[in-house]
Amino acid sequence: MVFENELSWPGIAGQLFVITAFISSLVSAVAYFISAQSKDEIIQQSWNKIARMLFTVQAIAIVGIIYTLYFIISEHRFEYHYAWSHSSMQLPMEYLLACFWEGQEGSFLLWMFWNMVLGAVLIFRAGKKWEAPVLFVFMIVQALIASMLLGIHFWDYKVGSTPFSLLREVMIEAPIFQRVDYLSFIKNGNGLNPLLQNYWMVIHPPVLFLGFASTLVPFAYAMAALWKKDFTGWIDSVLPWTLFSGALFGTGIMMGGAWAYESLTFGGFWAWDPVENASLVPWLILVGGIHTMLAFKKTGHSLRSTFLFFLLTFILVLYSTFLTRSGILGDTSVHAFTDLGMSGHLIFYLIALTVPAMILLILNWKKIQAPEKEEAMASREFWIFVGAGILFISAFQITLYTSIPVYKGLIHSLTGVEIAPPTEPIQTYNSYQLPVAVLILLLSSLALYLKFRKSEMKQFYRRMIVISIITILATAIIAWKGDLTYPTYLALLFASLFSIIANMYYMFTILKGKHRLYGPALAHLGFGIFMLGVLISSANKHTISLNYRGVDYGERMNNLELHTNQFMPKNSRERMGNYFATYIGDSTSEPNHYYKVLFERVNIWDSSVVHEKFILYPNAQINPKMGLISNPATRHYWTRDVYTHVTTVPEKNNEATAQEEKFKEHKIAKGDTIFTSNSYVILEAVEQVTKTDIVKLVKGDLCIGAKLHVYPMTGKDYFAEPLYLIQGGAAIPVNDKINELGLIFRLTKILPEENKVQIDIAEVKPEQDYIVMKAIVFPYINLVWLGIIMCVAGFFVSLFRVFQKKKIAVSS
Amino acid sequence: MKKVHIIGLGIIAVAIGIIISTASDYSTYENFSSAKLKTGKDFQIVGTLDTTHALEYDAVKDPNYFSFMLIDKKGESCKVVFHGSKPQDFERSESIVLTGRMKGDYFSASHILMKCPSKYKNDELNVEGYQEVEAVPEES
Repeated sequence: MVFENELSWPGIAGQLFVITAFISSLVSAVAYFISAQSKDEIIQQSWNKIARMLFTVQAIAIVGIIYTLYFIISEHRFEYHYAWSHSSMQLPMEYLLACFWEGQEGSFLLWMFWNMVLGAVLIFRAGKKWEAPVLFVFMIVQALIASMLLGIHFWDYKVGSTPFSLLREVMIEAPIFQRVDYLSFIKNGNGLNPLLQNYWMVIHPPVLFLGFASTLVPFAYAMAALWKKDFTGWIDSVLPWTLFSGALFGTGIMMGGAWAYESLTFGGFWAWDPVENASLVPWLILVGGIHTMLAFKKTGHSLRSTFLFFLLTFILVLYSTFLTRSGILGDTSVHAFTDLGMSGHLIFYLIALTVPAMILLILNWKKIQAPEKEEAMASREFWIFVGAGILFISAFQITLYTSIPVYKGLIHSLTGVEIAPPTEPIQTYNSYQLPVAVLILLLSSLALYLKFRKSEMKQFYRRMIVISIITILATAIIAWKGDLTYPTYLALLFASLFSIIANMYYMFTILKGKHRLYGPALAHLGFGIFMLGVLISSANKHTISLNYRGVDYGERMNNLELHTNQFMPKNSRERMGNYFATYIGDSTSEPNHYYKVLFERVNIWDSSVVHEKFILYPNAQINPKMGLISNPATRHYWTRDVYTHVTTVPEKNNEATAQEEKFKEHKIAKGDTIFTSNSYVILEAVEQVTKTDIVKLVKGDLCIGAKLHVYPMTGKDYFAEPLYLIQGGAAIPVNDKINELGLIFRLTKILPEENKVQIDIAEVKPEQDYIVMKAIVFPYINLVWLGIIMCVAGFFVSLFRVFQKKKIAVSS
Repeated sequence: MKKVHIIGLGIIAVAIGIIISTASDYSTYENFSSAKLKTGKDFQIVGTLDTTHALEYDAVKDPNYFSFMLIDKKGESCKVVFHGSKPQDFERSESIVLTGRMKGDYFSASHILMKCPSKYKNDELNVEGYQEVEAVPEES
């Protein structure tokens, strides 16, 4: 059967590109393997040449896949399932990229793309010795990811999921696909998940996936080193890569946090959600590895743990891929990917790389050199090692708790208990991770004052005492000002201030302006500022939208945290902390609905003094598929954020609720009064209307309006103006409505002889316009972002320094 | 014994400590009758909305009070009270995961996770202007 208008070449081309990418990666890996195993340099070079050629084929194929998929999406070829399920005609151009990687297939593709870019750089930079073994590992991984896109059935088992399947192939049962002209009925796609229609969705995934992909470099080097039994030669080459990876990966993770804070309604930037945890854990291990590697470079210690950390980093990236993409998180996370039935494949992928890595490491463990003499207590390397151990424990705890869905089946069969993740994840994770943070903060600042190998302790103690005294004073002041009393908070406050002061002191008095050496201190200082921001913004975070309406004076009166959603009738000035907030109206700009809320900051002592006025537009999409999707609006100050979002809006009734027989007729003259059940209405004037927002008037139209002044029994008065429109010979009454009173007015007839008009009034259930919203103040949240930026900057300063050193080494 | 070994043992000891302490951090999936026996502790309950009873939420009266009936996996129906606003589209949820505890005759939920069939997996074919009625013969 030939289907009308179905474009089949992109699918065929795309599928061919996928297969080419898979096979060329695999064959390239084989060529690199032969090269790496050979001892003869000429044979090595000729195999390398072949391998590079195949790499080029793979690169072209990946670009081909991306181009084809992009073509399908941007041309709205809805006969393809990927375009149909992730995009729609209404989707703005800038989100085409976002729907490109909304699906699993597209995000695998993004990962492959970065692997390809990094691999290309490595071919040029790795050098004769490392190219073959490192690229071998690279191409194996690349082939494994490419296999995720194959979507080919081998007997009964489907390998991977292709982004190029046709809609009719995916939904075989739907009878519509029996028709040759089925495409003429499919005019639109399902569209991008509205939660993801956000510029963060455009920039966050590429950065995060570059972070993921870059962890493959230290893994590939470590594997190559174990394979070629050169345990030390790889360190210098891998150092800049790990710094790059740490910076990008960290940025990617925190972009996710910033996204959550800015446009989701978690009410925070970190919720210990399984998906967040899964990407944080490999980063922690990577950071541990970077530190033990530095210790090794300077002293020869900690080489074994460096291997372990770098191998684990990538393995944990794979594990996180498994967690988020296999559907195993099911009930526990709101933002994992949809299950594509690939969990078997993902487990294979995980085992295929973990087992060889661990076997190689165990076999070589004893052969990896470690100095006879052990580290001195008063040395930097010793405390770096301790710090790395603490990071390991931190990662262990997060992994153990995040993996509950993985092993709950096992526990159930052993003990019969159905375990579930902690009911209060934030408190549970914090109870472990806050002490970790305290230790890391202290270690990361005092280790800088110790020298590698052996330190002068007298000077060390003197400096520590000075810094501690300043820190204690600062802690006391901030704790008093910020009303922090919990022991854990105080410990964290002390530790982060200690870190900030010690690292600044180090930069300004010990490094004395040698900017190039600022990297580590800057990164640590950033972490200190970050933790201070985390502490203050979460400990002193307070909800100002407290609702007292309808609350009985019993038990609930005392539980303030139960009233965090405030009811805001339209035009009513409601108290919110230091503010008065008034919901003044809404407007629609498809697909968003904006709620306009006027905030007035008033004097604490005298609320009639208004210091400042601003309007926030928390918006919501009322999506037919997903209901209310709320987007926060935030007022940013240097010292705090006021964060608001809408939680409930009334469901709008249709005009049709007013039925014909409900209208009551009233024949009145100017100045007469009509009584309704809840108000009285005075006809103030009947006059010709030349301009109105309600209907479009063209030349020749006659439009008469009746000006009505409505006085309800209580509250303020309203105006209404029903119209009588004569357009093209026909008379059309245009109703006016006062929702709050439930009154609908119609100017039905004009009676010139009697000098009267007939006004009909219908009474319906009053419809109150209101929103329910939440407003939270986050004090000093800017410290969080500042800290992250400084921390990432620290990585880049170090990276710059490595390159500079290399340049000097090359030129001398 | 080297210091490195001591640290290594220390890490292992802490790790074991964490594993043991997980026992007290885990919550468990329960049903209403088993939760009633263990008051004062938080649980997770998986169930479906009891559609024979109306949802109780009136933002005008109290925007922080939402109550509904849930049928747990054993088929028992129980009143649930959530102090917050009603999640939009709650009626359409396919399954509901509650976190909270029993308080007398109702379950006080501190957290609600809904799973909507169409929320993240929107494989529902909506075809414009197409009906299942055989109006047009295929040959024409």
